[in-house]
Amino acid sequence: MKILLIEDDPETAAHIVYALKGAGHDITVCHDGLEGLEAARAGGHAALIVDRMLPRLDGLTLVRRLRDEANNIPALFLTTMSGLDDRVEGLQAGGDDYLVKPFAFPELLARVHAITRRGNTPSAEPVRLCAGDLEMDLIRRTVHRAGKAIDLQAQEFRLLEYLMRNMGRVVTRAMLLENVWDLHFDPRTNIVETHMSRLRGKVDRGHGDELIHTVRGSGYILRAE
Amino acid sequence: MRNRFFRTEGFRLSALFAGVFALSFVILGGFVLVITNQALRDQIVAFSATDIAAIRDGYAHEGEYEAREVINQLMAAPASSGFYLLQRNGKVLDGNLPAMASRAGTLDVTAAGHKILGTGAFLASDLYVFSGSDTTRLQAVQAHLLKVMLGLFAAALLLAVACGALVSRSFLRRTDAMATACRDIMNGNLKLRIPVRGTGDELDRLAEAINDMLSRIAALMENLSQVSNDIAHDLRTPVTHLRHRLERAQADSKSVEEHRAALEAAIAKADEILGLFAALLRIAQIEGGARRAAFAALDLGALLTQMRDLFEPVAEEAGHTLELTNPETLTVRGDRQLLVQLLSNLIENAIVHTPQGTHIRLSLARDHDRAVVRVSDDGPGVPREEHERLFRRLYRREASRSQPGYGLGLALAAAVAELHGADISIVGDAKPGLVVQISFPLPSNHPENA
Repeated sequence: MKILLIEDDPETAAHIVYALKGAGHDITVCHDGLEGLEAARAGGHAALIVDRMLPRLDGLTLVRRLRDEANNIPALFLTTMSGLDDRVEGLQAGGDDYLVKPFAFPELLARVHAITRRGNTPSAEPVRLCAGDLEMDLIRRTVHRAGKAIDLQAQEFRLLEYLMRNMGRVVTRAMLLENVWDLHFDPRTNIVETHMSRLRGKVDRGHGDELIHTVRGSGYILRAE
Repeated sequence: MRNRFFRTEGFRLSALFAGVFALSFVILGGFVLVITNQALRDQIVAFSATDIAAIRDGYAHEGEYEAREVINQLMAAPASSGFYLLQRNGKVLDGNLPAMASRAGTLDVTAAGHKILGTGAFLASDLYVFSGSDTTRLQAVQAHLLKVMLGLFAAALLLAVACGALVSRSFLRRTDAMATACRDIMNGNLKLRIPVRGTGDELDRLAEAINDMLSRIAALMENLSQVSNDIAHDLRTPVTHLRHRLERAQADSKSVEEHRAALEAAIAKADEILGLFAALLRIAQIEGGARRAAFAALDLGALLTQMRDLFEPVAEEAGHTLELTNPETLTVRGDRQLLVQLLSNLIENAIVHTPQGTHIRLSLARDHDRAVVRVSDDGPGVPREEHERLFRRLYRREASRSQPGYGLGLALAAAVAELHGADISIVGDAKPGLVVQISFPLPSNHPENA
């Protein structure tokens, strides 16, 4: 997949290029905001990774301009740590996700995959999600595995829903914390692992093939063979 | 210097007052001149009217001869400055004036080189008499008066300017002293203060306000440099650990697996250090108070229920129990994301720092106009003398040095609580465990809190 990276720090840019090339992607790098805006306008990229702070045109303005021009290329913001409001500002400007520097490679890859998938989703919201013999009814809030009802608590339901919506793609701990529980900090206890293990107990236990898998060093993936 | 002097507020004020004073002096002087002129003229007219009355009296009793006699007597009187005329049909009978047009009443006449003011009257239809005085004296009095007033005016004006100069000089001297002090402080002499005279005047009050401000800034700066010292000192520890780990890996690792494990451990350590930086920055940001703009009404009961749902499985897995008692609906104003982090930190502390089998309890209760949240456990607790220190940045108890974390959880909780106007404290009634209490102010106007 062709990805446009707009990042002025050469070391960070080289780091990201290395990670994405390793995952088989094709990267174009721009070093300032105006150059990046032109490249994004020219099209041909599946996703945009843009730093918040850029010379000549900052990342927020860049994405806002693209959105004003009805350019809906999936955009992932990068930012240095701290900013409590940065995330909200980034999403308000039209960004699809947000990643704090420094980050682990798997985190970057998972988020790039997630936003490109989001970009391809048809606008109509699905009422049912399916993965193999697992079915989720989003209206009735029920889950069935091989025709048998599974009783899930509200947060277990949200967790499974997020996994199913990202079926076939790795989701990281941070993505789960943010999207399932709206937690935007790194907890000291193993919240994700604990809830995931409960969910797996309900969804996968007693069934021959497991749907939820742990991806070592990255996160989790829901996969139907 | 001269230029600066004329630009002072003191000089400007005294110049204004001198101007107002000069204007009022001119108005007053003009008024005095007009009044004295009128009074002197009235006096002259009154004198001449008395003369005319005497002459008329003589004529009435003994005829024309007696009238002439009276006139001659009046003219002969010592220090007489009078002018008299008695004429019949335009022909002078007696007096020291040439013939003139016969008109009755108060008259201004110019005759024989004199400006004369007086009264004319008819003794009979063909007999006309005039009595008057020279007005040159009147003008001399006026001129003298004017001269005296001009002298006074000049003296007063000079005095006003001198006073203005004095006032602005003393004002300038004091403001110069203040400016000099400010500049010295700016150049690094932070202990210096603006001089105060102790008279309690407006400049003193200004100086005191500036001094209070300087003291506050100095206290904040001291605090800041203390904190940055602490941070620099405390950050060295984990970075040193990281270095040790890498050094050991370089020396000891023999297989690829060992290298990989050492690198993973080093990355984890680096992540911890970055997390520490992020937490410190976050605390600084919260203390800056910028988040207050994002406050919204939020139900503490619902929030605690969510926290219970989130951490109950985690606590259970760690061999603890977590329960929530009587979650009332109490609405406060706050930032949800920050309050979630505050409560998470407290609950995670209780999970991480207590032995298996510990009961952790969340509770929410109303105490008058406060909503009181408590996170309690029945673990080993913390000695009372350490309670204050627990909320300090980077403070770690000896007993917990082996646990993950850098002692920022409670410091962040304290920063969040302060941002919300809430009091956070450790209360000691759960012997022997630990009870952290956060007491939020309840907005009085919220309907659900009524």
